[in-house]
Amino acid sequence: MIELTNVERSYRTGPTETWVLRQVNLTIRPGEFVTVTGPSGAGKSSLLNVLAMLDDQWKGDFLFEGEAVQGMTRKQRADLARRRIGMVFQSYHLLDDLTVAENIDLPLSYKDIPRKERQALVADTLDRFNIVGKKDLYPSQLSGGQQQLVGIARAVIHRPSLLLADEPTGNLHSEQAKEIMDLFCKLNQEGATIVQVTHSKENAQFGSRILELRDGWVYSDTSAKRTAGVQS
Amino acid sequence: MHTLIQDARYALRQLMRAPGFAITVIVTLALGIGANSAIFTIFDQVMLRKLPVEKPKELVRFEWTGAYSGSASSFGGDTGNYFSWPMYKDLRDRNTVFAGILAADRSSVGISWHDQAENKDAELVSGNYFDVLGLKASLGRLMMPADDTAKDANPVAVLSYDYWKTRFTAAPDVAGKTLLINGHPFTILGVAPEGFHSAIGGYTPGVFLPVSMSDIAMPWTAPRNDLTNHQSIWLTLVARLKPGITPQQAETALGPLWYALRAQELTGYKEVSARYKDKFLNHTHLSVKDDSTGFNPERQDLSMPLLVLMCMVGVLAAMCAVNVATLLLLRAAGRVREISMRYALGAARSRIVSQLLVEGAVLGAIGAIAGVALSPVIAHSLVRIISNVSDQDQTPYTTAVDLRILGFTLLLSVVVTLIFSVAPALQFIRPRLAEALRQSSGTASKRSQLFRKIAVGFQIALTVLLLGGAGLFLRTLENLRRQGLGFQTAHVLSWQVDPTLAGYTDDRTAQVEMNVLDEVRSIPGVLQAAGTTDPEIAGNQNGSNFTVQGHVAPEEEDMNFEVPNITTEYFRTLRQPLLAGREFTAADVKSAPRVAVVSLAFAMRFYGSPQNALARLIAEGGGNNVKLDTTIVGVVGDVKHQNLREAPRGTIYRPYLQQTLPGGMELYALTNQSSGAVESMIRQRIHRLDPKLVVYQMRTLEEQMDISLANERALAFLAVSFSLLALLMTAVGLYGVLAYATAQRTREIGVRMALGAQRSAVVMLVLREMALTAVIGVAVALPAAFGISRLLTSQLYGVVPGDPLTLGMCVAVTAVMVVLAAAIPARRAASVDPMLALRSE
Repeated sequence: MIELTNVERSYRTGPTETWVLRQVNLTIRPGEFVTVTGPSGAGKSSLLNVLAMLDDQWKGDFLFEGEAVQGMTRKQRADLARRRIGMVFQSYHLLDDLTVAENIDLPLSYKDIPRKERQALVADTLDRFNIVGKKDLYPSQLSGGQQQLVGIARAVIHRPSLLLADEPTGNLHSEQAKEIMDLFCKLNQEGATIVQVTHSKENAQFGSRILELRDGWVYSDTSAKRTAGVQS
Repeated sequence: MHTLIQDARYALRQLMRAPGFAITVIVTLALGIGANSAIFTIFDQVMLRKLPVEKPKELVRFEWTGAYSGSASSFGGDTGNYFSWPMYKDLRDRNTVFAGILAADRSSVGISWHDQAENKDAELVSGNYFDVLGLKASLGRLMMPADDTAKDANPVAVLSYDYWKTRFTAAPDVAGKTLLINGHPFTILGVAPEGFHSAIGGYTPGVFLPVSMSDIAMPWTAPRNDLTNHQSIWLTLVARLKPGITPQQAETALGPLWYALRAQELTGYKEVSARYKDKFLNHTHLSVKDDSTGFNPERQDLSMPLLVLMCMVGVLAAMCAVNVATLLLLRAAGRVREISMRYALGAARSRIVSQLLVEGAVLGAIGAIAGVALSPVIAHSLVRIISNVSDQDQTPYTTAVDLRILGFTLLLSVVVTLIFSVAPALQFIRPRLAEALRQSSGTASKRSQLFRKIAVGFQIALTVLLLGGAGLFLRTLENLRRQGLGFQTAHVLSWQVDPTLAGYTDDRTAQVEMNVLDEVRSIPGVLQAAGTTDPEIAGNQNGSNFTVQGHVAPEEEDMNFEVPNITTEYFRTLRQPLLAGREFTAADVKSAPRVAVVSLAFAMRFYGSPQNALARLIAEGGGNNVKLDTTIVGVVGDVKHQNLREAPRGTIYRPYLQQTLPGGMELYALTNQSSGAVESMIRQRIHRLDPKLVVYQMRTLEEQMDISLANERALAFLAVSFSLLALLMTAVGLYGVLAYATAQRTREIGVRMALGAQRSAVVMLVLREMALTAVIGVAVALPAAFGISRLLTSQLYGVVPGDPLTLGMCVAVTAVMVVLAAAIPARRAASVDPMLALRSE
């Protein structure tokens, strides 16, 4: 599904060039649940931004479902991401002025989907995530776990083939975190490919494969036999 | 006190730290306050300022209503403002309620001093003029009743202070010397006091002459016998109330006297019906009105435009206050943590509020100083436009900033400062300390966001209102300029030559004028040349009652017609169409049968067609015994004579050379090239004819039309300027609010983009932020603009109040402004990098 070859990313600050991703070679197959771990500054979020196609300043080759992302224009990349990728954020990033239902509807509102169809999809998702009773509440009226539930519902409503989660449980206590991770497992079992970034060793175990980054390099990969990144 | 100084110092430091913000606010305030001060400077002089005389509140003037028949000569305003000399003398001598009554009239005379002649405004005044006004001479002495006794017996003059300073170089020995008025020697008595111009508001005469010398000052009025004629009204009267008498008491006391004088006057009328007699005596009234500001006929013309402009700059001041309040609120949003910290450290609410008010006061004070500095510049332009002169000395209005203007500016500044200072102060009266201190960046409360949206909506509404007014005035100006005058203005030069300035006596004036015309006609490039005693579109009205053969006019029918005396070639020079008959020829002189050419309106009213009017008889004057001595020989098209708004009225043109002492003329030359090239040739030829002949007021008819449109142009120009200023201020406010709101929403925009929002969707998001506000603002403004524009009806021409096209254009201009102001924040929003926006992860 995803194939990164020699992907590199750096930031230039004056004369200094700081590398955040170095020669990353990575293949993720459909249906995998990959956990990316590593210390702060290891390049986890940078890798996620590359995969989410939010970043376009990297070098190397990136094949997404057989399509070469590096050759795409910004608009084509955004279009592909809009159709195929869902994002879950540590701070949920729900929009304060929108209700739960409106927040969930947000990704659909950026596609050419008829209003009725959107309403049906939102209703299905609310039902699927068991939050029908909260559909008219605003984010500030929900607990952290509930907000992240809405965040995940929003990320998957358009049935993306890849779900990216950046520290999805970072702001939650352990019980809430476990519920969210269970939900991820369920989604994975239903066929979603998931890449999550986490600091938590406990939550890392929910993934079927753990990738550890250090200083931008792929330090280890539990799918060792298939590992492409090698530490120097 | 120390705290206040400390707060002021802190405020100054803050302004210096944010120079862009400070300059924006100060320029906004300077323009708003400066415009107000400038308009008030003129408004005060035209409408409010008292005459610089002793106890001006005791001065009153008279206005009468009722039937009347005779000749009227006015310098503006209604006939009811004017009186005959005999009526003046009766009122003066037989009343019991006034300490004195003066009479005055305006005229232009030729003044020759040290062999240098020039045309200058003069005021003909009764001998008690300066006594009634309580004035003292700057030099020599002023006129007294003994200087105004019998007809032509008092050749004396008093110089105005300004004229003495400029023309006589303030010579201290000028009293007792002789100058020539229209070629006649007059002895200078002295100089009027400094600062005093005239009892007639807005008039700046160079000399004051006795009324008894009116035949010399205004030779063309000699046939009217103004000093004995009860039916020639031409003087405006001003009286000083006796101590303790109110205007109402004076009016009541004058009632019986007025009735008696009217009865006496009626005896001079020939063949009066009982109905007319009843109307003349029983439907008449003499009013006594406050005259502390001086009778000013221009006040009527200027009052509405000035009132409109005062309202417009008032709106501008309100917009300034709201605009600055919005900017301060935006700035305050970035100071939430600072102010919360001050509260947390123990500052009392009053202390915080006082600090914010001091900051506002510092801004207000700097803005007011800049506004006062700007005011004379704006006022100077305004005076130039309404006076149509480039030389400030020639206008009755000053642009100097005096204590009254400073007081007005101070008051306005305090009000504006209070409005814009209160908004941020209110925001911090009840701070949410815990929330504010927890946040790493400043945020705005929903209430202040709502205030900002309302403020911007308010400004948009006011901008539409101002644009609506400006649009209507612009269209009025354009309609007036485009309309047909009935004659052509292109390539026509006009000028005056006053032979009396060169020492010619009145009986030779006509011949000299004809010689000038002959000389001009021989200039290569001059196609036609002609003259008139009643110039076109110069505001002149010269009417007389006529009798029309076969038409029995009811007593209430207006039989007064415009009566210009014109030379040959007049209609060809102005390219005024001859519809029937002939023009005047050189044979139409005094010894020939009396002839006239009438206008189409006249012909249609009495004869039904131009052809039918030919060979019909008319006569000047009324009554059954009038001799029908004038034959209509031609009919010409109607013209707009007095001004561009006036509907054409019946006009009877008569040959210049058939009149007794017809006086000076306005001369016209039609040229086949640019008028400028011929101008110097005309001056040369006239100089060659007689070097003493002075050509003055030479201008093209197009320039004359511009002068005639001075008020409309001033109104349109200023209204457009203020509207554009309002538009700019609203754009700045809108930009500020949107830029701030966009910055506040960076995270949200990042999330939206991460979830698939395209750039166009983000742009729409930002535009939508203000679109609703703008739509509400416009929706509120349109009905208001429609309603308010109805009050402006008297100032409009060819366009209806609430004209849909004009209002549509205003909305379109406002929409463009909203889009432009929102463009930068929208572009910035669309450039948000979601990766950076979400980096707080």
